[in-house]
Amino acid sequence: MQTQKKTVLHGFHVKQGAKMASFADYDMPLWYPTGIKSEHLAVIQNAGIFDTSHMAAVTVKGEGSRELLQHCLSKDLNSCVGLKKSALTEGKCVYGIFLNPDGTVIDDAIVYQLQPSKFMIIVNAGMGGPVAEHLQQSCDKDGIIVEDLTDLIGKMDIQGPKSALILKKIIKDPDLLFDGLTYFSFKGGLGSCTSSMPVEMIDGTEILVSRTGYTGEFGFELFVEVDQLKALWDKLLQAGEEYGLSACGLASRDSLRAGAVLPLSHQDIGPWPFISNPWKFALPWNEDGKSFSKDFIGADALLEETEADHTLPFAGFDPRKIAAGDTTSVIDSAGEKIGRILTCTTDMAIGRVDGEIIGLASGEATPEGFKPKGLSCGFVLLNKNFEPGEIIFLTDGKRKLKVEIRVDVRPGRSARRAIKTMLA
Amino acid sequence: MKELSELNLPENLRYTDDHEWTSSEGGTMKIGVSDYAQDQMGDIVFVEMPEVGDNFDKGDEFGTLESVKAVSELYIPVGGEVIAVNEALEDGPELINEDPYANWIVEIKPSDPSEIDQLLTVEAYREILKG
Repeated sequence: MQTQKKTVLHGFHVKQGAKMASFADYDMPLWYPTGIKSEHLAVIQNAGIFDTSHMAAVTVKGEGSRELLQHCLSKDLNSCVGLKKSALTEGKCVYGIFLNPDGTVIDDAIVYQLQPSKFMIIVNAGMGGPVAEHLQQSCDKDGIIVEDLTDLIGKMDIQGPKSALILKKIIKDPDLLFDGLTYFSFKGGLGSCTSSMPVEMIDGTEILVSRTGYTGEFGFELFVEVDQLKALWDKLLQAGEEYGLSACGLASRDSLRAGAVLPLSHQDIGPWPFISNPWKFALPWNEDGKSFSKDFIGADALLEETEADHTLPFAGFDPRKIAAGDTTSVIDSAGEKIGRILTCTTDMAIGRVDGEIIGLASGEATPEGFKPKGLSCGFVLLNKNFEPGEIIFLTDGKRKLKVEIRVDVRPGRSARRAIKTMLA
Repeated sequence: MKELSELNLPENLRYTDDHEWTSSEGGTMKIGVSDYAQDQMGDIVFVEMPEVGDNFDKGDEFGTLESVKAVSELYIPVGGEVIAVNEALEDGPELINEDPYANWIVEIKPSDPSEIDQLLTVEAYREILKG
């Protein structure tokens, strides 16, 4: 049996009485005694913190780094930032995929430009080694240094509308940090990942603050030296007490991201071509929708692909689920098997009102006193395409659940809101 | 997660190795899930219950409990006819987390009361939980 890896916050999780489970060889909290529902709702209404230090970091440094990433990543680094698609520059980050030559997925990643020839890449747990190796093998130039920093960088996320108010309390110059900190931008650095815009906590600790996350809600991913992570976690817990901050486990992270239609690598994207899925924004499509703005590993295979299965988001009509796995399947109204379930979880912040999906954060559309019962949601991989609104069925042989193909699931998400409005 | 010593396991109930409890009173029997079951499952978000009048043999699946993470089948510990279901659970599945003993799931009329003797005592159930 393989030894379970532990993050530096493992002691906290166990002491709190979290339900623990193995995730990518790390012993991680699924939920704390507060429960998944309250953790999920905390992120919608207040804020939650997540231990994400099981995720891995890779750095790429030296002349030619940008060209190497341009060759390997599914995003065009010269045309990817914001609605105007400007070039990736210092202080900006992008989401993209590392593909094999046949168009299948190695892993998804966020690439941070720290300096003109220095990048930090955040990949999934256990993927630091494989991604670093892939980059090295794809590199034909001397002078580019690829380093796997697995377990050497301390990472945690704070997500939810109160995140900025809480973070503000522990940062030395919060006005400077928050000024112009738009969605998918960052400031600061640490140790081996320094940038030209240092950010310090009140006690002088170096930190990297990124306006990103994996919940669909407003918030930040935070990076410090790994031996500083426990202190940061404790400070935020304390600073967040007055704002209803909750420590959150992987289960609520999963239900929040599914409701936000974000994929889990190696589950919703994986060893099949990365195409015909809801994540078109991760590919460098030209306006014609038929060609790419750059060449990269996997591009030819994707452009030639004609028979790929369709990855589609769905939402149910009540909280009931059918688990993903070999023993379950997706069928059409005639009972014919059309594919399999990739993810099925329950977003506890939404419900249906007269058939329409309404969330706790739907603004005026949310009826007074609305108490959502939750809706199942996730992704299916089907051998034919279905349009939004069409009905399919998930089944485990005994139970059969009716679900609807969707474009989007949880309404009223806060991820892209202006930081100023979140500090008011 | 609760330690064994923290679990609430009332003395006057009988249990099953599927982590259900039963209480007998005046020829009928209420059935629910144990504190251990609700603690393991986490937040319960949906309870699928049978109809009043349904008949089950011992060991039949009579419903499901659904948490955010998983679906668990409920098996009838003693055969019989369903005479009531706890309708409060339809709107408040979380009641099972709040008090798994006050919030029973179904009430049945056992067809063979001798099956009740085969259920676990609290001591025997505690031994199973010790593993």
